[in-house]
Amino acid sequence: MILLSHYIVVSAILFSIGVIGVLCRRNALVIFMSVEIMLNAANLAFIAFAREHGGMEGQTIAFFVMALAAAEVAVGLGIIMAVFKKQGTIDLAKINFLKG
Amino acid sequence: MPMIELKDIAFIILALITLGSAGGVAFSKKIIYSGFSLLGSLFGVAGLYILLSNDFIAATQLLIYVGGVLILILFAIMLTSKIGDIAVTNKSINWKVAIPIIAGLACFLISSFSGDIWKVADKTPYQSSVSFIGNALLKEFLLPFEVISIVLLCALIGSIVILKREVK
Amino acid sequence: MKQDLIYFLPELIVSITVLFLFLLDCFIGKRSRRIFPVIAFIGIAAMMLANKSSSPLPSARFFSDMMVFDHVSVLFKYIFGLAGLIAIVIANGSHELEKVDKANYFTLLTALVLGMMLLANAHHFLMIYLSLEMVSLLSYILTGSLQGSRRSSEASLKYVIYGGVASGIMAYGISILYGLTGSMTLTGVAEFLRMNAVSKTALYTSVLMIMAGFGFKVASVPFHMWCPDVYEGAPTPFTAFLSVGPKAAGFAVLLRFFFGALSQTTTSGIEPIKIIGLPALLGGLSIATMTLGNLAALQQKSMKRLLAYSSIAHAGYMLLALVALNAEAVTGVIFYLSVYLLMNLGAFLVLIIVGDQLGSEDISVFQGLSKRGPFAALLSIVMTVFMFSLTGIPPMAGFIGKFYLFGSVIKSGHYTLAVIGMLNSVVSLYYYIRVVKIMYFDEPVDGRNLTTPMVSHASTVFALALLTIYLGLFWNGLANIVGQAKLF
Repeated sequence: MILLSHYIVVSAILFSIGVIGVLCRRNALVIFMSVEIMLNAANLAFIAFAREHGGMEGQTIAFFVMALAAAEVAVGLGIIMAVFKKQGTIDLAKINFLKG
Repeated sequence: MPMIELKDIAFIILALITLGSAGGVAFSKKIIYSGFSLLGSLFGVAGLYILLSNDFIAATQLLIYVGGVLILILFAIMLTSKIGDIAVTNKSINWKVAIPIIAGLACFLISSFSGDIWKVADKTPYQSSVSFIGNALLKEFLLPFEVISIVLLCALIGSIVILKREVK
Repeated sequence: MKQDLIYFLPELIVSITVLFLFLLDCFIGKRSRRIFPVIAFIGIAAMMLANKSSSPLPSARFFSDMMVFDHVSVLFKYIFGLAGLIAIVIANGSHELEKVDKANYFTLLTALVLGMMLLANAHHFLMIYLSLEMVSLLSYILTGSLQGSRRSSEASLKYVIYGGVASGIMAYGISILYGLTGSMTLTGVAEFLRMNAVSKTALYTSVLMIMAGFGFKVASVPFHMWCPDVYEGAPTPFTAFLSVGPKAAGFAVLLRFFFGALSQTTTSGIEPIKIIGLPALLGGLSIATMTLGNLAALQQKSMKRLLAYSSIAHAGYMLLALVALNAEAVTGVIFYLSVYLLMNLGAFLVLIIVGDQLGSEDISVFQGLSKRGPFAALLSIVMTVFMFSLTGIPPMAGFIGKFYLFGSVIKSGHYTLAVIGMLNSVVSLYYYIRVVKIMYFDEPVDGRNLTTPMVSHASTVFALALLTIYLGLFWNGLANIVGQAKLF
C-alpha cells in the first residue's frame, strides 16, 4: 500500500539530487536543470499533501509554481545566451570578470 | 499478507524512473545526456501526479515542463555548446564528495519527515478536475491569477530586452 | 464594494501605469522616448497620493485572504514609492544608461515597484512566493539590461543562478509547511501552530528553507554571495535602487513571516512560538551577516563593492532587531529602512555623479575630491554626511536609526547581541571614514575639475543630504508615524 510518506520520501530524494546538481556542477545550464528538479520535488510534495488535506490549495500552488518556473527559465536562458554571446562559455568557473 | 496492487508496482517503477533520471541530470558527463535525462524525470513526476489522481496537474506538467521548459533548455544546449567541447564544458562532479552529501541530506530530510507528523485531513474531500481548479482560479485564487499574467508579460519582454542588440 | 477598492487603489494605479507603458512602447517612435520616465514618475507619485487616502482606513484582508492591508503596508508603500521616484530621477540622464532602451528600463522599473508592493502586502504563501519571484525576475532583467557590457550580463547570470536556487529551496520549504499545517495563510499557520503540536525538526527545516528565499532578497548570510558581484556588474543607477528597494521588500515579508506565522500575541505582548529557538537562529544569522559584511568591506577597492558589503552589514543590523520580536522591533526596522533609503541612495548618487565625470568607480576616484573645484567641495561635504550617517555618528539620521534598532534589542534583554552590533558599527567606522579621509587629505591624481551635473541629480543629492541631517535632529515626526504602525 503506497502512503503519503512514500511520496514524501521520493520528493526528499529528488530534492537532494537537485541540491547536489546545484552544488557540484559548474555548467550554468545543468544548474538550471537541477533547479527545475528541486521545483519538481516541491510540486510533488504539494500534490501529495493536497490529496491528504483536501481542498484546492496544494494543487493551485503547484500550478503557479510551474508557471513561475517557466518564466524563470525564459529569463534565465535569455541571460545565459547573452553571456554566451559575449564570453563564448557558460562554465561558471571560467566566468570571472567580476572579482573582489 | 498484504496484497501487492498494480498501483504499487506502478509507483515503484515511476519513482525509479524519476529518481534515476534525476541522477542522470546531476551526474552525466555530457550535457546533452543531462538534458534528455531531465525529460525522463519530468515524465516520471507527471506519472506520479496521475497516481495521485491529479490528471490536470499531470497534463499541465507535460505541457509546461516537457513542452516548454525542456524544449527551451535543449535549444539552449544546442546553441551554446559546440559539438566538440560538449564534454569539456560539463565537468562531472567528484563522486567521493557528492555521494556523502547527497546521502546525508536525503537521510536528514527523510528522518525529519518520517512518522505521522503531517496534518490529517478533516474538511473538504479531495477533488481534482479541471472544473474545480478553474473555479478556484477565478474565485479564491483570482488575484494570483491576475498577477501572474503581469509576471509572464514582464518575463516575456524582459528576455527580449536582455538579448536585444545594443541601441545605436 | 467601492470602499474595498480604495485599499487596492495604489496597486491598481501602478499596474495600470505598467500596462500603459508597455502599450505605449508599441506606438511611440524612437524620438519621444523621454516621455517614459515622466509617465513612470507620475504613476508612482499618484500611487503615493492614493496611498495617503487609504492610510486612515482600518486594516483588512482581501481577495480570500491573499492580501492584508494595514499600517505597515501603507508605510512600506511610501518607502517603495520614494525609492522608485528617486531611482527614476537618478536613471534619467545617467551616463551609464545612455545605451539602454529607456522605454523598457522605466517600464520594468515600475513593474518592480509593483512587485515590491505586492510582496509587502502578501498574506498567503502563494502570493509571497509569486511576488518574490516577480521582484527577482525583474531584478535579473534590469541587472542585465546593459547591452554590450560583459560585466552586466555576467552579474545577471550569477544573480539568476543564486536566485533560482534560493527560490527552489523556498518552494520546498513552503510545501513542507503546507504538509505540517495544512494552511497557507500566515495567520492560518500561526493559528494551527498555537493549537497543535508539530514535529520540531520538520518545522525547523521548513522555516530554514523559507528563510533561504527571504535571506536571498535581503542579502543575509549564507545567501549574500550574489550581492557584491551583482552590485558591481549592474548599472549603477539600478544598483542604487537594488540596495534599498528589494531589500526593504524583503524585510517587509520577513516582518510578516515572523510576526504573522511564527509568533502569537499574548497578554504580555508578542511572543515567538516556543518550539523552535527563533531568537537564537536569527541572532546567529544577524551576527554572521553584519560581521562578514563589515570585515569584507574593509578590503574593497571598488566603491560599488564597498557599498555592497556595507549593505550586507546593514541587513545584519536590521535582522538583529527581528531577534527582539517585539513591537519596538517593527518600529526600529521600518525607521531604519526609511533612513537607510535616504543615506544609501545619496551615497550611490554621489558615486554616480563622480563616476560619470571621472570615468571610474574605484575608491581611488574619490582621492582629493574636495580639491576638484567648488561643486566637488560641496559634493565632498554631502558625501561626508552620508558616510557619517551610514556609520551611525550623531547628529545624522543613521544614528537615530541605530538607536531605535539597538534599543529594541536591549529592551528584549539580548544585551550581548546589542554590544556585538555596536562593536560592528565601530569596525564600519574604519572604511566609511577612509572615504572621507581620502576626499580631504589626499591629492587628486589629475587636474580635472568636477562640473555641475544636471539639475535633477544635483538637487536630489542635496535634498537627500539635508533630509539625512534633518531626520538626525528632528526625528520625532517620523518616529511617531512609524511608532503607530501595527502589523495585521
